[in-house]
Amino acid sequence: MAYPTPTPWLNARAEARLANVLLYGATAAVLIFFYIPIFTLIAFSFQEGRYPTLPFEGVSLKWYAALFQNSSAGDALYNSTVIAVVATLFATVIGSAAAIVAVRYRFRFRIPFTGLSAAPLAFPQLLLGIVLLLWFSVLGRTFNFNTGIVTAIIGHVVYITPFAMVIVAVQVFNFDATLEDAARDCGATTVEVYRYVTLPLLWPGIFSAGIFAFLLSWGNFYLTYSLAGSTRTLPTFVFSGIATGSSPLYPAIATVVFIPGILLVILADRIRRKG
Amino acid sequence: MSGEIDRSWRDPELLAKALPSVILQTGFFLAPLLMTMALTFQRTKNFQLTWTWSLETWTDIFTKPHYWTILGHTLFMAITCVVLCLLIAFPVAYALATRLRAYQNHVKVLITFAFLTDATLKTFGWVLFLDKNGAANYIARLTGFEGDAVNILFTDWATMLGMVYNLLSFAIFTIYLSIDAIDRSLILAAYDAGASKFRAFWEVTLPLARPGIWAASVLIFLLAVGVFLEPKVLGGGKSPMSAELIRQTFETRVNWPLGAALTLVLMVVAVFIVLLFNRIYSLKRHMGPI
Repeated sequence: MAYPTPTPWLNARAEARLANVLLYGATAAVLIFFYIPIFTLIAFSFQEGRYPTLPFEGVSLKWYAALFQNSSAGDALYNSTVIAVVATLFATVIGSAAAIVAVRYRFRFRIPFTGLSAAPLAFPQLLLGIVLLLWFSVLGRTFNFNTGIVTAIIGHVVYITPFAMVIVAVQVFNFDATLEDAARDCGATTVEVYRYVTLPLLWPGIFSAGIFAFLLSWGNFYLTYSLAGSTRTLPTFVFSGIATGSSPLYPAIATVVFIPGILLVILADRIRRKG
Repeated sequence: MSGEIDRSWRDPELLAKALPSVILQTGFFLAPLLMTMALTFQRTKNFQLTWTWSLETWTDIFTKPHYWTILGHTLFMAITCVVLCLLIAFPVAYALATRLRAYQNHVKVLITFAFLTDATLKTFGWVLFLDKNGAANYIARLTGFEGDAVNILFTDWATMLGMVYNLLSFAIFTIYLSIDAIDRSLILAAYDAGASKFRAFWEVTLPLARPGIWAASVLIFLLAVGVFLEPKVLGGGKSPMSAELIRQTFETRVNWPLGAALTLVLMVVAVFIVLLFNRIYSLKRHMGPI
């Protein structure tokens, strides 16, 4: 294709400088943007007064003390942990297996399989929650059960498994299959190939998938809100708090919710860089 | 790199790995979805679902403009959100892929953490920040603004802010992956052919990043039509969007068939718009560079 040679409106150096200013500026601005509400919450959790407004009446830890004496907050913490641990285990195992199948194997219905396994990724969570709530209500009427912690876990697994699958799939994609063949040629059984070759090589992907899964479940609001019945987790507990009028207790809960997130993300990064 | 292996569904190894996912997504995604479709043809009586087939719900939907006004508003907000997310995410994704060598991992970790933090909490954080007596106005007053300089809470602007905030990371990651996958030698070839940096970017990088931009748009659009938290918490529920309407239909009006039908309408219209844009996009590509 022939293009007319345009007269540059900037010389090359000015152009590069402008690009750098724009790019670094945008990145810095977005990082600040991302952390505004997070730091606002952390700051307000140390507020002495009854209302989360500025200026502070004083700095104190009393809302954290109140949090630890509040038994429903404790229950919420416990429920969040149970749901996140169980959902992570299921989602990571099912998602990793599905990723290997989708990337490595050629079989009939491969595309429908991949589509079905990844579909909930692009489905709004609230609608997924509603659709599942209807399903569990109809099933519950037939088999006589109520929504609760188990239905919440099922909902989380449905939503999180595709994320785990996509993350592990990236790892499987860069996986050198000849290593497995080599192990097999040396006389390793199928189980041994998995134990000593496949899993160690896929481990970084599976590990990140697990961390992602845990955090998605730990902080999930929409699905828990629809599916957990009367069971409260930390996010739904905070949501009910916003509705009834805020006190610095809720920023304190939010800050507590952040802690495992920060630790896990840093841990994952450390391990990934070593591996 | 990975060699693909032929497998039959009779192979126990394939079954063991594929079946859990198939059962999970069939039993708890596909089946509920099909049942939701069936539900739209049922009736309710005294807040109870009765399994009698009827078209009542659908006539209701197609005769009341109220639902369609809300749907229109939702689509407008979703498309605006997609455009804003792309405009903001592209430079960041580009910087992440081409600059920031030493800090790349730190920036990624920071973005990942912000992304994985629960949306309810972050949205609540925005309320505290934007509140009349909140942090934003406090800072504005310190810097010399009079009164309540920041007064957008409980408006559509705040809703949009929340939507962009909660969905932006999807765009950054998707576009980053597509820029990162571009073969550097193509850009170097453009330089060798005498292209300026900007020209190489415009004619090599941008077209090659298009799949990522497209994927990000679809993902954000589909997620944006389903937002409920932002219009409720940041928008104050003043101009409801479809998801809020659907939730109310289920929870307050306890009309399952209507709620199910509204859910379907939302999803079908959203997917239709994606397909429509896909069509325009591929037509344009056949007609040459934009």
